[in-house]
Amino acid sequence: MEHRLDVSELEPCEPLERTLAAITLLETGDYLRVLHRREPHLLYPLLEKGGFVWSTRVGRTGQFEILIWRQDDQSAESAALGS
Amino acid sequence: MLNTTSLSLDQAPPISIPFRFFLTAPLFAIAAGLQLLMFGGELFVSRWLPLTLGLTHLMTLGVLGMVMCGAMLQMLPVIAGSPVPRVVLVGTLTHVLLLLGTVLLETALVTGSAPATLAAVISLGVGFAVFIAATGVALWRTAAPSTTINGMKLAVIALAATVLMGIAAALGYSGAGRIEQLALLTDFHLGWGVLGWIGLLILSVSFQLVPMFQVTPEYPLWIRRYLPNSLFIGIVVWLLFQLGFIQSEWVDLSATLVLGLVVSGYLLFSLNTLRLQYQRKRRVPDVTLLFWRLGMAMLGCCALLWVSGKLFPPIGNSRYFSILLGIGLLQGVALSIVNGMLYKIVPFLCWFHLQNRQLALMCMTVRMPHMKEFVSDKSAQRQFHLHLTGLVFAAVAAVIPNWFSRPAAALFIVSNSMLLFNLLVAVRKYRSTLKLLLPTMPGTVSGSSTTA
Repeated sequence: MEHRLDVSELEPCEPLERTLAAITLLETGDYLRVLHRREPHLLYPLLEKGGFVWSTRVGRTGQFEILIWRQDDQSAESAALGS
Repeated sequence: MLNTTSLSLDQAPPISIPFRFFLTAPLFAIAAGLQLLMFGGELFVSRWLPLTLGLTHLMTLGVLGMVMCGAMLQMLPVIAGSPVPRVVLVGTLTHVLLLLGTVLLETALVTGSAPATLAAVISLGVGFAVFIAATGVALWRTAAPSTTINGMKLAVIALAATVLMGIAAALGYSGAGRIEQLALLTDFHLGWGVLGWIGLLILSVSFQLVPMFQVTPEYPLWIRRYLPNSLFIGIVVWLLFQLGFIQSEWVDLSATLVLGLVVSGYLLFSLNTLRLQYQRKRRVPDVTLLFWRLGMAMLGCCALLWVSGKLFPPIGNSRYFSILLGIGLLQGVALSIVNGMLYKIVPFLCWFHLQNRQLALMCMTVRMPHMKEFVSDKSAQRQFHLHLTGLVFAAVAAVIPNWFSRPAAALFIVSNSMLLFNLLVAVRKYRSTLKLLLPTMPGTVSGSSTTA
């Protein structure tokens, strides 16, 4: 199941704070779609340390979409990448 | 789809590296205030007085230089994706030598001691050489240099030029070396320091930090791409005109015109920053924004003052012109921006290093303070009002020094003591939260800094 989080109008470090809070709620099969106005380079190492995997896309308007799921969660991974 | 690689946190310096620079800066500001309090209006007589030069260098080296060097060491791995080699050694050496060199230079200027000048020159020369070499390596090996990196490269070149000219001027003044046209060399040193190093660094870092921290639209691409290069070319051409290879009155006029274009470039930057801040999407009160707006407004005022001084000789030749311009640029523009940024950078680093540690340990039972909890908004706003009042008093003191210089000094001391207090509160909160996380780590020593 997809969870959606729009942090594009928040100032640092609210996007990081809200994303890190949201990923703790992910259950098996769930992934999080984060909408961000910039590429969140500092989020990635934190995700890595927390045991999460991500994939980043650039939308048509230049907005970034970061798809995040738990490591080893195959169903979440295929749902996220197929979305 | 992007397969973005993760930024390695091991590349960034331990939090103690930027913090030692940030916490030293207000101490030098307090020292500068004490000097003004002690000597009063005497310091506003002329910018050439040794005591005034000492005060200026406490501000440029001890306050602005400290924060700018510390911030660059911290930001380069994040902005450039390129770590500063041996960052702990480089940070420690730069900090110690800059601190020692500033104290020695102040001593040399107050006492007129030639050995102190020589020691200051060596200390500052080696300190900056280490910093320039290390940040230069990080900047020039960036795989995909952005407009911010390009501007930072030019700022570092300008810093190298400023340091070399400063060393030559110091040796000339102390009598250790024979320098012709010492006054002109000092003007070059000042011009390259303010319009090159300080100006270009603030400008290029703004391209990254203003849209990011203040949630504004991006600066126009043409400004990001062409303005830093144009300003740098401008100060090079100004230097070449002034070197006197060609003797003609047209050369002097051309040099002034080129400098006028450089000043216009900074005015363009200031107006654009104010425009972007006006267009920001989320209009929540923010103390950093107040400092930035003050800095940008002061940049406009300084540009107008400089133009007025050039167009109307009675203003340009007046006793207070250069002192007022110096106060406006250092205290009004640079210190306002640096002070404002400290209120963003310090809480952000505290929060980020703690978050990184928490996730590494998966110790989710400890509540992580929000970024806004590290520095109280009220206290930071009070400090802003003190800074603003101090600036107004300092500007008036440039014109009426005997009445206003000591109140201006007192306000400056109180403002910077409050800044130091606010930063120390953030550090204390960081340490207390870190302590809660540390007991879960086997074999760790309480109070050790994190490497993130």
